[in-house]
Amino acid sequence: MIASGSDPLPASDDYLRQVMAEIDEEVRRRRGEIPLQLERELDELFLEHAPVSARAGDLKDALALVDRAAFIDPVVPVTSERPAGTAIKKGLRSLSLWYMGWVTHQVSQFGAAASRALHAVDAQLEDLQARVPPASPTFVLDPETGDAWWSVRAVDALLGARGRVLHVACGDGWLVRRLSAAGVDAYGVDPRPDMAVDAELEGADLRQEEPLEHLRAVGRASLGGLVVSGIVEAMEPARRDELVRRAADRLGARGVLVVHSLSPEAWFANDAPVEADLSTGRPLRPRTWAHLLATWAVEVSEGPGGADYAVVARRAPT
Amino acid sequence: MRVAFVTPRYGREVVGGAESAARQLAEHLVASTGWCTEVFTSTALDHLTWRNELEPGDQTMNGVLVHRFSPEAERSSKFYELDGRIRLAPGHATREQAEDWIDMNGPVTPRLVEALCASSADVAAFYPYLYYPTVRAIGRVPMPAVLHPAAHDEPALYLPVFADTFASADALVFHTMAERRLVQRHYPVAGFPQLLLGLGTELPPARRRPGREVLGSGDRPYVASVGRVDEHKGSKMLAAYFAEYKARRPGPLALALVGPVAYRPPRHPDVVLTGMVSDEDKYDVLRDALALVSPSALESFSLAVTEAWTLELPVVVNARCGPTREHCERSGGGMWFGSYREFETVLDRLVADVALRRDLGARGRRYVERHYRWPVLIERYARFLEEVSARGKLSAEAVAASVRGSEPANGPVRAVAASPGLNRRGQSPPRRG
Repeated sequence: MIASGSDPLPASDDYLRQVMAEIDEEVRRRRGEIPLQLERELDELFLEHAPVSARAGDLKDALALVDRAAFIDPVVPVTSERPAGTAIKKGLRSLSLWYMGWVTHQVSQFGAAASRALHAVDAQLEDLQARVPPASPTFVLDPETGDAWWSVRAVDALLGARGRVLHVACGDGWLVRRLSAAGVDAYGVDPRPDMAVDAELEGADLRQEEPLEHLRAVGRASLGGLVVSGIVEAMEPARRDELVRRAADRLGARGVLVVHSLSPEAWFANDAPVEADLSTGRPLRPRTWAHLLATWAVEVSEGPGGADYAVVARRAPT
Repeated sequence: MRVAFVTPRYGREVVGGAESAARQLAEHLVASTGWCTEVFTSTALDHLTWRNELEPGDQTMNGVLVHRFSPEAERSSKFYELDGRIRLAPGHATREQAEDWIDMNGPVTPRLVEALCASSADVAAFYPYLYYPTVRAIGRVPMPAVLHPAAHDEPALYLPVFADTFASADALVFHTMAERRLVQRHYPVAGFPQLLLGLGTELPPARRRPGREVLGSGDRPYVASVGRVDEHKGSKMLAAYFAEYKARRPGPLALALVGPVAYRPPRHPDVVLTGMVSDEDKYDVLRDALALVSPSALESFSLAVTEAWTLELPVVVNARCGPTREHCERSGGGMWFGSYREFETVLDRLVADVALRRDLGARGRRYVERHYRWPVLIERYARFLEEVSARGKLSAEAVAASVRGSEPANGPVRAVAASPGLNRRGQSPPRRG
């Protein structure tokens, strides 16, 4: 059991995670203490007013629902408000039980088989996730200057954008603030917990969201510009593919896409971020971006020492 | 600045829910900024009937100018027939059915819509998304429209008619990240200007008397649940869970259900129902409780949770309620349960561990101080409204593109190839709305 009552308070997420892990362990240990039928009834009561999709993507919860619903009970309740009702229902149940039992047995078997299949899929997904953990964004700012060499190019390219400009993996909102100061309607998302909280409290439109999840919820052709930094290097290919497709889809006419990436050489150097070893992705070369964005006007700028580069791609007017 | 709030009911008599949140926001906005703040609402107080209970016309309440309009009709029983039919598969309801649902859901107030459209307000704030005034006015108002959806994961959210409602907003204000995720899962509004605001929490009144005196439960320790005692709010489940808990853990622990009673649980010697109580009594009960239990899966914010944290009381919430669980995860101030076994384990731990209760409560209080005190909240909201007003209406072109899912202006990009020579055109065919 963890020590509680300490001062200063430990970080909320670690502290609570530890407490809830202990609760989960204890819950597992208590399995079988409550009669099965009673526990099932109590759990059904819990689910009565619980929305199935309340926790997005929570496959475990959905599977628990499938498991609970997989067994079809042929022994129907017989209580009745009418005097003879119970006796009549009991009689009907006795007469039909051989038939209902035969049918429900097969339906239950089907439910159990479907549930087993879903659990197998879940196990495989968990295995895949364990093998390919999502990479966290790398830091793109020069620690000495607190700026990035490519930010001037990005701001220049996005001046006069026809629509809002989104900075994906915006960190603490450094580029969003710079764009806003230049008169650009900019906002940002970052998947790291609490990265954007202070800036958001100060009034910036910064949100803690997973980049692809956010892009999926943006209207088509509704953005004037999109800046992606610190995430394309380590992204696994399928997610990077989706990022590029979504970016093209969400940018409107004359939309501008700015991508900042470490170069492959920097990725394999000794001082590369740890993501270089821990993730399955690797940076693309600038010419690959030019190839992917073949129908766009693409400019590539290399950073000092060739360690990184920025791609500015403009969609041609229709 | 001149701000117009639009909400189906308005007044101190309307307890809890989005309408109450709208009133608090309007009143605090006037008090803090001095802006001209008005409200367009109906003369009804009961959202189940929309019965005319108040006088139509204008009145000023706590500095807010309130314009009331009579609903054209009370809600008919046909609404429940239609609602029952389409709630099984709301996403498959026809546009016509959904339009009928909006009109039957009410309150049907076309004169409210006309008056709002003729208003000289700089910004209109709609609260919540669900009712006739919002759905029928948001696409017609000449001023920028801010939508406070106050959305739950409820069947109505999936009705096809709401795509236009969300697309007509020029900005959105959410109570929690969970609410934002829910709305964005269904409507492409992620690119709209947004504010994660929540609700303000008042400082608690001074202690008047011991909570046990309010409950009349002697010296017994207790956990409390505050809010409407209602099956849909999880009260039935909580009462049954607590009865089972006491059957397995005999002892003095009691459960206090504090709030108006819409569902009366089976009589139990360890369960106290207070009915509606004053704010002072509510806080007195909370002060002496071991923990607050929020059993509802359908909250869009839960003031009860932030009020408990104001008093450094730990909370226990429904694991399936996105917003309250998010509060706990972000603050570290509470625990959650998703089954009876989890409920029992969490309660055992909380009852036995004083230091844990103190730690959770302290974390909760720190979270409320940082995010949900009125001065902080109103400053952020006022700045957001000024920005929305300065930005003006979103262009009709952008909105239409977003709603229709129009083809982007230029050709597709190439997909990232798994291996050389396998490049393919990567864009899915355009959706036609």
